[in-house]
Amino acid sequence: MNTHNGTLSVRVARIEQLTPEIKRFTLVDPDGKHLPAFSGGSHVVVVLEDGDKTHRNAYSLMSSPYDSSAYQIAVRRVSDGRGGSRLMHDKVCQGDLLQILQPANLFPLAKHARQHVFVAGGVGITPVYSQLEELHVKQSTFELHLAVRGPEHTALGLELQARYGQCVHLYVQGQQRLDIRSVLAGRPLGSHVYVCGPDSMIDDTLDSAHALGWTDSHIHYERFVEQGSTGQPFSVTLARQGVTIEVPAEQSLLEAAEQAGYKVPYLCRGGACGYCETEVLEVDGELDHRDDWLSEDDKLSKRKFMPCVSRANCSRLVVDL
Amino acid sequence: MLITGIKSRPVYDRLQPMTGGLRHLIAGQGSGGEAMLRLLADMSETQRHNSTLLYSTESFSGHSHLQALQDADAAGLEVFASNQALIDALRERLGDAHMGTRLYLSGSESFIGTAMQAANAVDLNRDEVLREHSGTLVRRVWCAHCDTYTENVTQRVFTCPGCQLNLVVRDHYSRRLAAFQGIKADGEVPGELPAAEELDT
Repeated sequence: MNTHNGTLSVRVARIEQLTPEIKRFTLVDPDGKHLPAFSGGSHVVVVLEDGDKTHRNAYSLMSSPYDSSAYQIAVRRVSDGRGGSRLMHDKVCQGDLLQILQPANLFPLAKHARQHVFVAGGVGITPVYSQLEELHVKQSTFELHLAVRGPEHTALGLELQARYGQCVHLYVQGQQRLDIRSVLAGRPLGSHVYVCGPDSMIDDTLDSAHALGWTDSHIHYERFVEQGSTGQPFSVTLARQGVTIEVPAEQSLLEAAEQAGYKVPYLCRGGACGYCETEVLEVDGELDHRDDWLSEDDKLSKRKFMPCVSRANCSRLVVDL
Repeated sequence: MLITGIKSRPVYDRLQPMTGGLRHLIAGQGSGGEAMLRLLADMSETQRHNSTLLYSTESFSGHSHLQALQDADAAGLEVFASNQALIDALRERLGDAHMGTRLYLSGSESFIGTAMQAANAVDLNRDEVLREHSGTLVRRVWCAHCDTYTENVTQRVFTCPGCQLNLVVRDHYSRRLAAFQGIKADGEVPGELPAAEELDT
């Protein structure tokens, strides 16, 4: 097994408190060199050592894809999360070095679209930042519909309004209501919708678009992936390594394998990208599929498994890792 | 020099109602009328009443389904004397159409290919278009030297009506051009023509 991506060392050049919960981090190369190029919608994984634990959190790049002198990410502090965002908020200081993985894009723009419509909620605005920058440079038109929970959460929306003007529509809870169905109604052929936000917003967008006769190839979404998974502990045999490891209640198979010293290829760590898909060689019991990647048929077949989020309730599980 | 087995040639579908669609544009030509009629029969009444038919009577084989299509129960039928006139109208309809529209094409490869150029211009994707081929696989050929398109080519070697060069028809189908490529037949050794043969029409 080998790593598919080396880590990249970056220095925290600046930290801005944007809203009560969101901080923006500007990351640069420690030697002032250019960072690897990326496209609109890309993310990086930040690797954070936390005692004997390692957090690997994915954050969207919100800086311009046309400026490789720095990356910017926005981190929302999740008080009851697994600890990665708390570490970023409470411990990381300007000047610190961080380890990140090279950018990857699971939320790219549709290059042939005639209209781009963005729907975002809260910190879900972050991948849209770099997408808008890409469209702006290409002089393509777009519309953004951004909903936030209150006036104190509008900083990013106001920043985008200042930059792009009228095509940014801001909806503040209690003041304006975002009606996704009417935003999508009456669009010309070749329209594409991109949605990033809470699950309810993504589901509402998918349902509205389908009801209006949109096909899946015109609907793009990125969920806030819950990194890792928790549940009942189980054991798993990694066939290629010839070892059996225990997956504890608060870890995913991927995390348990990494902690035991085995490198498993991964990208999003949230069941979205399909990169870590593995084959089930033997199973005696039930698989608990928790990903957005495998088809229903694949899930029922008991032949495929996503180590980053899925679990098992079985007496024996052998995977091709 | 010629490629055997034409991987670049589109794989065609069988027309059937696309259930998620709210409006349906059904365009066909010549013997393609048969697939249009079968599709209408497979549709629900609501789908038929949200369907517009575009039919061109131009046909290589002489088949016409005009009478049956005029009798069909649909929101509208527009009839055209040539494929080109139909495709010009289709381009206009697609330009004005909204998301939720599905496109069905049936007819010759040349007709489907040029209609797909109009569909691609408005970013209709593979999950919004069905294409059913009917009739022969006579080829539309693009001359690499003078940019002339020639319809209904059946011979491996033919003379381009645009520049009078002897062209050999290659087995590569370009979706962008909606045509097979024709290039100077004796370009390597002047006077040495490849064997004449009938294309796999």
